Amino acid sequence: MTSTDALILGLSADLAPVRRRSVRREVGALLVLAAGELALILMAGGMRPDMGEVILSPFMAWKIGGLALLAGVSCAIALRSFAPPAASRRELAFAFALAVLVMVAGVVVTNSAESGQPLIERLAPARGLRCAIAIVVLSLPLMSLLAVLMRRAAPVHPKRSALATGLAAATCGALVFTVCCPANDPLYIAVWYAVGIAAVAAAARWLLPRRFRL
Amino acid sequence: MSLPHDPPDRTKDRAVDPAGPDTWSALMAAAQDGHGGAYRRLLNETTDWLQRYFRRRLPPGDVDDAVQEALLAIHRRRHTFDPRQPFGPWMAAIAKRKWVDQLRTIARRPTEELSDDLAVADHESAVMCATTLTGLLVHLRPAQAHAIRMVKLQGYSIEDACRETGLTASAVKMNIHRGLARLTALIEDADDLH
Repeated sequence: MTSTDALILGLSADLAPVRRRSVRREVGALLVLAAGELALILMAGGMRPDMGEVILSPFMAWKIGGLALLAGVSCAIALRSFAPPAASRRELAFAFALAVLVMVAGVVVTNSAESGQPLIERLAPARGLRCAIAIVVLSLPLMSLLAVLMRRAAPVHPKRSALATGLAAATCGALVFTVCCPANDPLYIAVWYAVGIAAVAAAARWLLPRRFRL
Repeated sequence: MSLPHDPPDRTKDRAVDPAGPDTWSALMAAAQDGHGGAYRRLLNETTDWLQRYFRRRLPPGDVDDAVQEALLAIHRRRHTFDPRQPFGPWMAAIAKRKWVDQLRTIARRPTEELSDDLAVADHESAVMCATTLTGLLVHLRPAQAHAIRMVKLQGYSIEDACRETGLTASAVKMNIHRGLARLTALIEDADDLH
């Protein structure tokens, strides 16, 4: 008997049933966590005070709709990449292209009154940096959950899965953050949200594949 | 990413269940439910495919390790298999990952230990592995490809390779190390290379 035969005998002896991976369960866990974050923000009174007035504006439709679309697509790509045959490089490229497209689409809904202001006032770096940090903080619980799901699953391209995970967590975090972000300028959103999302995606790409073994 | 000089005859490596398209999926589904007999049959059948797969891609001395690593990965991650999907592509993706892991192990291993198996033990496997690797070497810088070809495929010692190329031992080792790392990254990134 070869060592491979012995291994097969060992693996198949006393085989216990396993609980199959369920994407539906994983999506449910992500939704519950994101809803929990949202509930915490609302309970802490963090919602922007004029939400009732701006919720139906084209700007908010772009901001919430665009981020919801990005979050949905990137979560789908991340979860798909967790089991073989994995998500392709093309799918990741599509997610990033969509992110750029959504941000550029903000130009269409730019408020003409704000677009005449000096660039530095529109970008408000100090407040923008706080927004980017808030997105990173809100992404962390979602990234932790996705990292656990990734480690339990079988990503055959860990680096791609990690990048997709970072993008998914960051866009979900940014989506949650929209309820308290007071900014009404698409340029501000495009720049500072992109900074927050890119930081989380880069950190995930760097951290998650470490010591991962299929 | 598409590699223009893929190894030849790739169709032979497609993971196809000889007993029918759904048999392996059904066996894995039974294994997920705890059926040891079905699992043993599945692993025995897939071992033949894995051995063929790795013989074409790795030096003969590394084939058994790669097969066993792949079997362990299949075992550890069996809960991720969706019985509604075919088993072949699922297993092939795991096998490709293990090929990449094994190439990394080879790249890390001290160069002097490698040559004997490759040159003597199993000529057919060595030739198939060399054919596959030679097809991929065109993607490397000439100095890297030359060093890998001499030391890893033709069994030259580092000293012989130094004499032949006029490079220092550390330069030859560096070329081998960087070349294998680049090769591994190429294989890993190529969606169409299985």
